Amino acid sequence: MKKATGFFLAAVVLQVLILLGVPARKAYTRMTGRDVVLKVAPVDPYSILSGYYVILGYDISRPADFPNAPKFEFDEVIYAIVEQQADGLWKPVSIERELPKNLPANRVAIRGHWNDWRITYGIEEFYIPEEKRQVIADDLGKNQAEARVEVKVDAQGNAALIRLRIQDRVYE
Amino acid sequence: MNPNKSSSFRSSLKQELPAWVQEGIVTEDAAQRLTSLYELDELRTESSSLLAAVIFTLGGLLLGGGLMSFVAANWEVLPTLVKVILLLLLLLAFHLAGYWLWHKKNWPRLGHALVFTGSLVFGANIGLMAQIFHVSGEWYGAFGAWALGSLVMAYAARSWMTGLLALVTAVTWFQGISHSHPSSWMAAGPLVLTAVFLLLAWQLRSRVLYVATHAGLTFMLCTLAAERYSSGKYVLATMIVSGFVAWAAGEFHRVKTLRPEFGNPTAALGILILGGSAYIWSFHWWWRERDWALDSSNVVYSPRFYWALPTIIVTLVGIGLVIRMMWQVNAVDSRKLLVLGISVASAILILCALIGGANYGDQVLLTVSVNLAALMIAVVAIAIGILDERRLAFWTGTLFTVLLIISRFLEYETSLLTKSAAFTLCGVAMIAAGVAYENHLRRKEAIV
Repeated sequence: MKKATGFFLAAVVLQVLILLGVPARKAYTRMTGRDVVLKVAPVDPYSILSGYYVILGYDISRPADFPNAPKFEFDEVIYAIVEQQADGLWKPVSIERELPKNLPANRVAIRGHWNDWRITYGIEEFYIPEEKRQVIADDLGKNQAEARVEVKVDAQGNAALIRLRIQDRVYE
Repeated sequence: MNPNKSSSFRSSLKQELPAWVQEGIVTEDAAQRLTSLYELDELRTESSSLLAAVIFTLGGLLLGGGLMSFVAANWEVLPTLVKVILLLLLLLAFHLAGYWLWHKKNWPRLGHALVFTGSLVFGANIGLMAQIFHVSGEWYGAFGAWALGSLVMAYAARSWMTGLLALVTAVTWFQGISHSHPSSWMAAGPLVLTAVFLLLAWQLRSRVLYVATHAGLTFMLCTLAAERYSSGKYVLATMIVSGFVAWAAGEFHRVKTLRPEFGNPTAALGILILGGSAYIWSFHWWWRERDWALDSSNVVYSPRFYWALPTIIVTLVGIGLVIRMMWQVNAVDSRKLLVLGISVASAILILCALIGGANYGDQVLLTVSVNLAALMIAVVAIAIGILDERRLAFWTGTLFTVLLIISRFLEYETSLLTKSAAFTLCGVAMIAAGVAYENHLRRKEAIV
C-alpha cells in the first residue's frame, strides 16, 4: 500500500472514530445505567422550542429545590442526589461536591454543572423529528404537569436522556 | 525542486509542448522528461476547466444532500443501530469513491469533489449522531470535532477545498470556545491554528487557502480582543496589526520570490483590511467623547497581558518581515518607500487607537492623523499600480482617495455649492488620473 493511500485511510478512520466518539459517553450510560424517571419542571414558554430540540427543565435543575443548596463556583461539577418515591418519580434530596459512595438503593447521584441560576445535566435538549416538533411543544405546553422523562444514570453519575412521556404518549 | 502540478499549468504545458518541439525550442528528450515530471499523460481523461470542477462539486453536494434527506425521511422507523451504520456507510462511500476516482481512475476533479463532500457529510453526521443520542453540549464542540476531522483529511487527500472547510469550522470553534472558556491557553489558539493552516496552504500551493488563513487570523485576533478586553480600541489596533502582517507577508513573498504566487492576493488582503479599518475609523464620531467599551459582561481583567500576546507576536513577525525586506539587496528604492509608507501608516493607526481609547473628550488631532494614515494607504496603492503596472491597485487607491474626500465633505460641509464643487473636482481628477495612467501603461508597452 502506498504511503499516500495509507495516510488517506488513516484520515477516514479518524473521522469515523470522531463520529463514534460523539455519542460514546451517552451510549455507555444507556447500556450500563440505572433507570430514573424525572418530573419535567416549567420551562420558559418562549424558548421551549429551540431549533431542532425541545428544551427541558426538571425539579433538579433549580438550585432552590434542594434543601441544602450551597453556593458553588460557576461551571463547577456537582452531584445531585435524587430519591425514588412511591409514585415512581425521583425527587431532589441534596447536592454534593463529590460523587457519594455507598448510596442506599433508592438513591442515585446525577452529575451536573452549576450555572448560578440553574444546574445542567446534559439531558436538557430533546431532539425531535421536524414534523413532530410543534406537536411535542404544544403537548408539553398544555400538559407540563404530567410530563416525565426517562433517563439512565451510570455509576459515575452521568445521565442520558432516553424518552419523553406525556400521559400515555411516548416520544423518543 | 517542487514542480507546479496544478491542472491548469499542466494542461497549458501539454498544449504548448508539441509546438516547442517542432520549433526546436526544446528537444524531444527534454519534452519527454517534462511530460514525465509533470505527469502530462495522466491529464487526458478529464476536462480541466473550472466549470467541470464547479459542476462536480455541486453534483457531489446535491448527491450528499439527497442521500441525507432520504435517511432523514425514514428516520423514525429506523432502529438506532441502523441509523448509525447508515451514517457511517454514507461517509465511507463518499471518501472511498472519491479517492478511487481521483487516484485509480484518473478523475481528480470529480474525486476531489466527492472527498470534499465527504467532509461535509462528516459534519452533518456529527450533528445527527448528537441528535440520535440526545447529546447536549456547547454548540462549538461540534465545530471543533468537524474542524479536526476535516483538517487531517485535507492534509491526507491534499484537498484545498477541504482545507478551507477545516479553516472555517476551526475559526468558528475558536470563536465559540474563546467566548465561553477564558482560560489562558486560549491565547495560543490563533497562532497554532494559523501555523497549521499556513503550512497546509504552503504544501498544497493554494493561494485561496493562504489568503483565507490570513483572513482567519484577523478574525480570531479581533475575537480575542473583543472578548477579553471588550474595548473597541483593541479591536481597531488588532485589525491594523492583522492587516499589516498580511500585507508584509504578501510583499515578502514577492520581494524574496518565495512562492511569489502568494504575494499579490495576500498583500491585497492586507491593504484591504488596513484601508477598510482606517476608513471606518476616519469618521470624527469615533473620536468624540465616545466610550469604547463593548459588552463588559465577558471582560476578564486578569491576566490581561496574556491575551495581547498573540497580537504582540504577530506584530513582531510583521516587523521582522519588513526589516528583512528592507535589507534585501535587490529591493529598489521606490519599493522601500512603499514598505515604509504602509509601516508608518500602520504605526499611526495603532497609536491613535491606543491613545484614543485611553482618553475621553474630543480628539481632533487623532481624527486628522487617522485620515492622513488612510490617505497614505491610498497613495501606496496608487504607487503600486504605477510601479507594478497593476490596474486594480491603481484604481482601488484612486477610488479610496475619492471616497475619503467625499466622506469628509458629507461629514462636515453642509453647503450644496461647496459639495458640488468638491465632487466635480474629484470627478475631473479621477478622469485625468485615469487618462494619465493609461497613457503611462501604453508608453511602457511600446518600450517593451
